[in-house]
Amino acid sequence: MSATEILPGAAEAAPRTIPPVDRESRRLGFRLTLPTQLLVLFIAGFPLLMQLYISLTDWSPLDGVGWWKAWQSWNSFANYTDLLEDRRWWGALWRTFIIMLVCVPAEFLLALGLATLFMDDFPGKRVFYSILLMPMMVVPAVAGYMFFMLFQSGGPFNGILSALSGMDIKIAWLSDPTLALVAVMIADIWQWTPLMFLILLAGLVGVPEDQLKAATLLGANWRQRFFTIMLPRIKTIMVIALAIRVIEIFKIFDTLYIMTGGGPGVATETISVYIYKVTTQDLIWGYVAAIALVILIALSVLAVFAMKRMEAAKNGGRA
Amino acid sequence: MTTIRLENLVKRFGDFTALKTMDLEIRDGEFMALLGPSGCGKSTTMNMIAGMEDPSGGRILFDGRDMNGVPMGKRGVGFVFQNYAIFTHMTVRQNLAYGPKMRGMSRSEIDRRVKNIADFLQLTPMLDQKSAKLSVNILQRLAIGRSAIVEPAIFLLDEPLSNVDAAFRAVMRTELKHLQKQFKQTMVYVTHDQLEAMTMADRIAVMDHGVLQQVGTPLEVYNNPANIFVARFIGAPGMNLIAGELAETDRGLAVDLGSWGVSPPLPDDLAAAASAAGSRAVQYGFRPEEATLGLEGQGLRSRVTFVERIGARTIVHVESGQTVKIVAENDVGCSIGDDVSIVPAPAAVRLFDAASTAAIRGG
Repeated sequence: MSATEILPGAAEAAPRTIPPVDRESRRLGFRLTLPTQLLVLFIAGFPLLMQLYISLTDWSPLDGVGWWKAWQSWNSFANYTDLLEDRRWWGALWRTFIIMLVCVPAEFLLALGLATLFMDDFPGKRVFYSILLMPMMVVPAVAGYMFFMLFQSGGPFNGILSALSGMDIKIAWLSDPTLALVAVMIADIWQWTPLMFLILLAGLVGVPEDQLKAATLLGANWRQRFFTIMLPRIKTIMVIALAIRVIEIFKIFDTLYIMTGGGPGVATETISVYIYKVTTQDLIWGYVAAIALVILIALSVLAVFAMKRMEAAKNGGRA
Repeated sequence: MTTIRLENLVKRFGDFTALKTMDLEIRDGEFMALLGPSGCGKSTTMNMIAGMEDPSGGRILFDGRDMNGVPMGKRGVGFVFQNYAIFTHMTVRQNLAYGPKMRGMSRSEIDRRVKNIADFLQLTPMLDQKSAKLSVNILQRLAIGRSAIVEPAIFLLDEPLSNVDAAFRAVMRTELKHLQKQFKQTMVYVTHDQLEAMTMADRIAVMDHGVLQQVGTPLEVYNNPANIFVARFIGAPGMNLIAGELAETDRGLAVDLGSWGVSPPLPDDLAAAASAAGSRAVQYGFRPEEATLGLEGQGLRSRVTFVERIGARTIVHVESGQTVKIVAENDVGCSIGDDVSIVPAPAAVRLFDAASTAAIRGG
């Protein structure tokens, strides 16, 4: 079979050198975008440097000196070493992780199940679709207030439980340290499963129908098709959806703050709530800058990981 | 190794009838091409054979066994999709092993089959490559191999060459025909390209508007089209057809072609069939390749309107009310505006009933 000798791929092996004309136009392109690049650099770079600078001092707005004079209270890396011993910080970080470890998988599994259901047609699909997406469109602060009321000890949530069990249930959801955390998680799952659902559904709909038919013709049953064709095909999208939710949960604030204010005590205090309290109540901004920088670095690593996955998928995986 | 019988097969989508009562027998080991323009029902027929769609009426029999209600995974049908539907997230090996694995074959059996099929299709060197970036002819072989590995009795191919550029198509055609010879499976090949059907198929089923027009070997279909549609569809360019009326001349029965003049007398058997058929309005047909072009003299009178020089041959368009194409020598010396006369080879003349469009056959 001499067919293999006329492969279209053969031409792609040509050495990649940049011709002079191309190099010239690149230089021009660089010059033309330079002003914008400088602006972006200023917007992104300047606050970052300022933050880094302040994080190395004990500066507070109460000091009565401008932030540029923060060197007067220079403390080297004391903020960072303090952070290592700050039990409230570790507690907040731990609770954030707990919320993430419960909410992200729960949202993912719920969303994947729903998205799989929505692959087939059923009566009322469009209505259910709209209803399902609604929580996502509620302003988080409003959602927070909704759940604040739902979880009152005489509120509707207990009312439903009472009706179901036949007993008079009066659980003080938001004033019990454990249950408050559970309530916060329920609110997050309610509000953000739809986003995950939407992303995963987009992925599943994009799985080529011919591939599913081919798999069926080769003897694969529904379960086998799901695990060998559909899931691998939406791997990239799953990673993106998970990364988005992980990053979002690191920043979880508004709904939670309105529901519990981080309480009772520090029972639902996440890192965002902690930073907010240190910023507005303790006013030690040098320390806040240090915390924020640590979180920024952690999230950047996550984001880079997610982007690497996307890049890899673009170059290899799918045709 | 299976005979496929379609009995009174019907497919309706709502109000639209995609296939009107189709009867067809595809013999064991045969390469059958379903040929027709898009929307003729050929893909619908194929999808029903594969079990992807349920017939609205009629039966599909594999070796006499009614396939109604048998799910597509259990029909023993290999399907090569238009875009090959290769699992691009898997390696070549994983693609080949997919069918056996889903059927729960043992590890060693899977390995043995993959090795055999990869050797046979010369896929061994790329077994562990990702299949996403393979060239199109390797994809075709992989698609065939992936279906063949579970030893289906029937192979269905849905326009596998339509995404391939023209230059490469000839190579792929040869390769495909070669593979079919070796596999010896019954193959059904859907295409709208008559060249593919002519070059590869043992028999061609020509379809149009959900109706089977003619079944026959490529030469039968080419030489003796059953009706006007087949006459026009097969051949490049298709058969010339001129409307006319049967007329008695002193040299025998001929066709009065209006402004073209009167045709040469019809061969005896065709004349007998034509007078037996009764109707006088006919379409007079002949292949562009089977007529000679002369300057003035005996033959159908006409004028050259266009000269297409395509290298090996020249296609001369002539017009006298209707346009007729003649395939002539590459150095034919005529130009636009020349008066010419056309003499169709007597044996190549075909007549069609103008009303029913069916062929009038002699002998």
